[in-house]
Amino acid sequence: MTTNNASVNGTMVELIKVSKSYPPDVVALDNISLSINTGELFFMIGKSGAGKTTLLKMISYMEPPNTGLIEVAGHDLRRLRGNKLAKLRQRIGVAYQDFKLLLDRTVAENIAISMEVSYKQPSQIQKRVKNLLEQLQLSDKYNTITGELSRGEQQRITLARAVANSPTLLLVDEPTGNLDAETTGRVMQLLTKANNSGATVVIATHDESIFRNSKHRIMELDRGRMVSMKEATVS
Amino acid sequence: MRFWFSVVRQAGRNLRQTWPSQLMTLLTVSLSVLIFAFFSLVYTNMINSSEQLGDDLRLIIYLEDDPGPEMQEQLRRKITNFDRVEDIVFVSKEEAYKRFAEQLGGHRDVLDDIPKDFLPASVEVIPLKNLRSLNQIKLFSQYLSKLPGTLKVQYGQEWVERFYYFTRLLSIVVFLSGSLLILTTIFMVSYTIRLTIFGRQAELELLKLVGATNNYIRTPFLIEGVLQGLIGSSLGIFSLFLLYQWIKGHFSGPGLLELFSFTFFTPEVIIAIIFISIILTTAGSFTSIQKFLRI
Ligand SMILES: Nc1ncnc2c1ncn2[C@@H]1O[C@H](COP(=O)(O)OP(=O)(O)OP(=O)(O)O)[C@@H](O)[C@H]1O
Ligand SMILES: [Mg+2]
Repeated sequence: MTTNNASVNGTMVELIKVSKSYPPDVVALDNISLSINTGELFFMIGKSGAGKTTLLKMISYMEPPNTGLIEVAGHDLRRLRGNKLAKLRQRIGVAYQDFKLLLDRTVAENIAISMEVSYKQPSQIQKRVKNLLEQLQLSDKYNTITGELSRGEQQRITLARAVANSPTLLLVDEPTGNLDAETTGRVMQLLTKANNSGATVVIATHDESIFRNSKHRIMELDRGRMVSMKEATVS
Repeated sequence: MRFWFSVVRQAGRNLRQTWPSQLMTLLTVSLSVLIFAFFSLVYTNMINSSEQLGDDLRLIIYLEDDPGPEMQEQLRRKITNFDRVEDIVFVSKEEAYKRFAEQLGGHRDVLDDIPKDFLPASVEVIPLKNLRSLNQIKLFSQYLSKLPGTLKVQYGQEWVERFYYFTRLLSIVVFLSGSLLILTTIFMVSYTIRLTIFGRQAELELLKLVGATNNYIRTPFLIEGVLQGLIGSSLGIFSLFLLYQWIKGHFSGPGLLELFSFTFFTPEVIIAIIFISIILTTAGSFTSIQKFLRI
């Protein structure tokens, strides 16, 4: 692990009284305070429209909150600009709910992007991409144009891109929405593996099957408010 | 190293996606360089040629009286006060008479009854042989005619004025084509880069999200700008060179070109033109990408 504040005090994500509303009067997040520990696997659940995606957007700083403080790996996001923000983002992997894939590029190119921006060796990138595709049972799609894939396949490519650069913080939005039970299991295996090797993982979902028997913390949102927090069970 | 690898690949992608507009821009850049370089070439050659044309050019100041040595010195000072000159020659009444008699040759006997001092003394001023002093001749003659003891100032008025207006016109044309060059290169390049950015917005947004630094995003576009400037201006100058060769080949021999002793740009000037074009196109692409990065 790097020697940032986060690993010292053990907090990867810190939100204090964060609120976000969209015009005209949609309150997406209402006064959320939350700490996620380094190395934790954390579930965010709630009905559609509860604010899960919005919360992930705040943490990855795609959008700023209206009020409140957000710290990631010890950095106050509002004070990060330019290269420092870029460097932090290189350590955050995000699997977006809307994928954000480049549909005219091959699968391999899509996954490689997150490694290319931090100047990884081409040979290293290739190896990593092949390995990830194997784990997600997509080995034969290496050179396929991404636009030709099914939604379930695209969803896994999105996840592979998020994981590829071995981020210290992994934000995953609805990773299993289009998948059958077996593939869901594979995806969870991949996420657990990333978590076991030290990454902090935040999963937003309403797929009960993946968090029902989990021993990890589960936060429930409803209309932008935190309504419950199930603490982790000690194993 | 790996940075440049990815930069070159990105630039290649841009090119593949938007090559028709890139080509248009390239042609626009080379055309404006061609136009500008053409007029500057004519202009610089005009300036140089004034050296040859200016040979017979002199201002003649007719004086009321033969100036004594002291007066000559005063006049000399007054003249050089206005401008540096090539030479100042004093012609006394007697010398004027001699010259005239020589010109008459066999008919000099007509002068027999005329007093030897009937021709006025004069000062001949030979201006420096450059365009600036040529252009100033009008002002110069006005100044000289106001000197004490001056009867009249004479010079090849019509010719000088024509030359003056022509070079003036040409310098305006050079200025306009230079402005055209600046405008087209900056705007065309920033326009095509904006097109490229627009066509790849989704990708550039994603690059930001996965943590690409501004340099990572910006450099391919800057390279595009540099290439547009380099290739565009080189093409422009090369076509001008071909044109120059063609003209030389077709109009050689005694005539206009002989008179002007037409020469092409020196390597320094060529490099300067290319260099400035590169700066302009790069500036154009920089403004576009900067606008995007600030969002
Ligand atoms: N860009 C936006 N402009 C306006 N309203 C928005 C915007 N993004 C989200 N919202 C609103 O904010 C609320 C929370 O949305 P969000 O996407 O966070 O929900 P979610 O919990 O992720 O839902 P789902 O489970 O369907 O993905 C919703 O009411 C949504 O309509
Ligand atoms: Mg969502």
